[in-house]
Amino acid sequence: MSTHLQTASTDRESILDAVNPLGLDGIEFIEYTTAKPQALGQVLEMMGFRPIARHRSREVLLYRQGGINVIVNAHIPAMPDGAAPTDKPVIAAVAVRVRDAAEAYRRALERGAWAVPSRVEVMELNIPAIHGVGKSRIYFVDRYDKFSIYDVDFVPIPTVDPHPPAVAGLHFFGIVQYIGNDRTEDWAEFYRELFGFTELPAEQRFGILPKGRILRSPCPPSSRFYLQLIEPEASVLDVEGDEGLQRIGLGTADVLQAVAELGKRGVEFVESRGVHTENRGALTKSWLGSVSFELVHDERG
Amino acid sequence: MSHYSGNIDDFGMDTISLAGPLEAKLKAVREAGFTQIMLAARDLVGHPDGLDAAIAAVRGSGLRVTGFQVLRDFEGLSGHLHDYKVDIAKSMLEMCHALDCRLLLICSSTSVHATDDTRALVKDLRKLAMLAIPMNIRIAYEALSWGRVVNEFPQAWDIICEADMPNLGLGFDSFHMFATKTSLDELDMLDPDKIFLVQLADFMWTEIKSVEERIATARHFRVFPGEGVHSEALATLVTKLHRLGYRGDYSFEVFNDDYQQMPLPTVAQRAWRSALWLGEDVLRRSVPLPNQIRLKR
Repeated sequence: MSTHLQTASTDRESILDAVNPLGLDGIEFIEYTTAKPQALGQVLEMMGFRPIARHRSREVLLYRQGGINVIVNAHIPAMPDGAAPTDKPVIAAVAVRVRDAAEAYRRALERGAWAVPSRVEVMELNIPAIHGVGKSRIYFVDRYDKFSIYDVDFVPIPTVDPHPPAVAGLHFFGIVQYIGNDRTEDWAEFYRELFGFTELPAEQRFGILPKGRILRSPCPPSSRFYLQLIEPEASVLDVEGDEGLQRIGLGTADVLQAVAELGKRGVEFVESRGVHTENRGALTKSWLGSVSFELVHDERG
Repeated sequence: MSHYSGNIDDFGMDTISLAGPLEAKLKAVREAGFTQIMLAARDLVGHPDGLDAAIAAVRGSGLRVTGFQVLRDFEGLSGHLHDYKVDIAKSMLEMCHALDCRLLLICSSTSVHATDDTRALVKDLRKLAMLAIPMNIRIAYEALSWGRVVNEFPQAWDIICEADMPNLGLGFDSFHMFATKTSLDELDMLDPDKIFLVQLADFMWTEIKSVEERIATARHFRVFPGEGVHSEALATLVTKLHRLGYRGDYSFEVFNDDYQQMPLPTVAQRAWRSALWLGEDVLRRSVPLPNQIRLKR
C-alpha cells in the first residue's frame, strides 16, 4: 500500500470531498474467515490486537486495537455455500461506515451491485451486504457513533479491556486487492460508481510497494482509506480466478517505531532486494500462507 | 482436425447454425477445426442432464466460449418490468460466469414497453455492466435492425460512449448492418478496443423490403460469409475492421432452416470454408509461427 503526502495536500483535496454519495466514513471492521481461528488469533495478537468479544451464536471473535476492528469468522455454514472457511485465512468482508446503511444498500443495488442474502439469527442485526471482489462481501454499517453493532451481536469477553490501545498509533490505512489482467478499469469503475472512490494520479504515491492503481475513499480526512488494485506481473499469463482482497494496510506516523515495537512482539518484516523496511513503509512476513500486513507512513494517529 | 489449418483461430461457429444435442455440436465444430464456439442459454438449460452436465461438456470440449447469448429487451423498462429483466440478466450472467465465458451479448430492445429516453437506456446499460464487473464479464451491446429505438450500430455506439463503462462495448452484426444499409464509413468512428464481438453472416437476396421480411430473413435464411450475395461487402467490412485495429473474435451468426436439417459435419465444413476464405483470401494472413502466443485482450 502506498500513500501520498498528507500534509499540505489536505486543503487542496478537501474541495473534492463534496462527492461522498454514501456519507462514507471509514472502515468499521475487516473480517477474515479461517478454519484455524486460534492460529490467526495468535498472529493478530502478535500484531497488537486483543480479542475482546464473542459472537452470540457463531464461532466468531472480535479483535481490536485502537480504532481497528478485525473479525475472525470460523463459523461453518449449515449448508455448503462456497464461503466456508479454509485453513488459509482469507479476507472475506470489509464493513464500511456510511450515513444510512439502508439507503446505501438500496443505492448500490439500483446501480448494479449484487445483494448478499442475509442469514441472521433471532435478535441479531441484519447488516446489509453486497458482493465484492471474488467471494468477498462489503457490509454497510451506520451504527458506529452512539452505540455499536457489537453491542447487539457480541458478548464481551470478561475482564478484558474493550478498548485496547493501538501499537504505535496503528490505524486502518487501506486494503490491497489483487485483480486479473486488464481489470484495473473495471474495478476502478466499480468503486467509483458504488462508493465515490477517486483515482490518485500515478505520481501521487509514496510507500514501498507503489504498484498498480490507488483509489482514495471519499471519506473525511480523519477516516479516509485507500484501495490499491494490483494486476498480475507481466510474466503471469492468466490468474483471473484469483481475484481477491490480499492484505490490510495499517497507517502509523512512525513506521520505524512501529516496526521496532512489533519486532519485540515477534513480528518479522520482509527484507529483500525489492522490499525493505524504511520510513515510508514496511511489509510483514506472511503467516499461515496468506496473512500479511503492510505498514504505511501516515501522519494520522 | 483438418490437415490444413490456416491462421483463423479468431473465427468461430455459433450453436444456432446446428441441429442436435450440445455434445454433437461441440464435436462437429471442434472436428471441423474451430477452436471456439458461441453458445446460447438454451444450449445449457435444454441439456437433458441439466445445466452442470452442459457446462462440463463445454469445458470438456476444449473449445473456448466466444460469448454467451442473448439478453433481449433489457434496457428502457421501468418498475416491475425492469426488476424482472434485471433478474433475467443476473441469471444469464451467472450461467456465463459458470462457463468461464467473458462475454455476454445483449441486443437492443424491441419492446413497446421500453422508453426511448436515451438517459434511461444509458442508465440501464451501466447497471448491466456493473453487475458484470465482479464476474469479469464484458457486455456487448448489439443494434438489432428491428430494435425499436436502437436499430443501427451508430446509435448503439452513441449509447455505449455515453454509458462509458470499461466493460461495455459494441456487438457488431454484419447482417443487421447490411439489412439497414448502414454506410461502411460509419465504422471509422468506432474505437476498435470497444468492439467486443463481430458476428458475420450473409443472405441470399439484395433487397429486404419490410421489417417483417428482415426478421424472417434474419431468423431463417442467413448463410455463411461467401455463400450469399454480399461477399464483396463482407470482404470490405472485415478488411476495414482489421485496418481499424479490431483484433477480437469473429463469430458466424448464421440462422438457417436448411442447415438445421443437414448433417452437422457438413454444416461445420461450410463454416470452415467460410473462415478460410476470410482469413486466407480476404485478410491474407500468414501462417502462424510455431508456439505463437495470442495475447488475451
